[in-house]
Amino acid sequence: MPERLANRLKERRTELGLTQAELAEQVGVTRKTVNTVENGVFVPSTILALKLAKALDRSVEELFSISPG
Amino acid sequence: MNAFMIGLFVGLGAVLVIAAITKWRSRNRPMSVAEKADYLSKRRARTLPALAVIYFSQQVSFFSSLGDGGHRGVDHFKIGAWIVLSLALLFALATKGFLFQPKEVRDLIDDENTRSNRADAMRLGFLFACSAALAAYFIAEFQPLTVGETAHLVLTFGLGAALLRFGYLERRAHKDA
Repeated sequence: MPERLANRLKERRTELGLTQAELAEQVGVTRKTVNTVENGVFVPSTILALKLAKALDRSVEELFSISPG
Repeated sequence: MNAFMIGLFVGLGAVLVIAAITKWRSRNRPMSVAEKADYLSKRRARTLPALAVIYFSQQVSFFSSLGDGGHRGVDHFKIGAWIVLSLALLFALATKGFLFQPKEVRDLIDDENTRSNRADAMRLGFLFACSAALAAYFIAEFQPLTVGETAHLVLTFGLGAALLRFGYLERRAHKDA
């Protein structure tokens, strides 16, 4: 069974009161990319995952986890 | 000036008119770099599938006269216009596009999700182009095809499929959960 990448991005972003656009601007991508990562449609690169973790003040492991498909 | 050159110029003219209309529509719209990138990216997601449909529909008349050789003036005109449209669409698909936008906007539009979507679309386009080449080889067993006709087949299916896929993926990416 293929594994998928679960994330707590939306939860953490909402906690910080950030919009997708604001988070996107902080990490240097478009809102679309943040949207697809949040929805699980797109698996981000390590670089983007690290940038997101930094912007949301969490470790990558806290934001992303592997879940069985 | 022959019909082929007229077709080329008409095609170029159409591309320039579209670029001018696009520029005019986005005038007086104060936006940040991120807003502009998002706006342009959405617009591209809407436009590319529509252009792919136009591209495909243009081919109906060509494929209906497949094997004729295409030596009439009107055929040369159509091929000239088709070459320009193919190049414009290939450029829109394979590059960041938006040549008249600042570099930071163009870089942001081409972020990693877009690059991933483009790679996926190119992969499908390649498969369709290969399939069209095989189909052309098969058709040629029954009806002789010129090099131009074969190139037409391969490019139409390869580019058209890639455009549709890219448009679909970009539209899906813009959709909220």
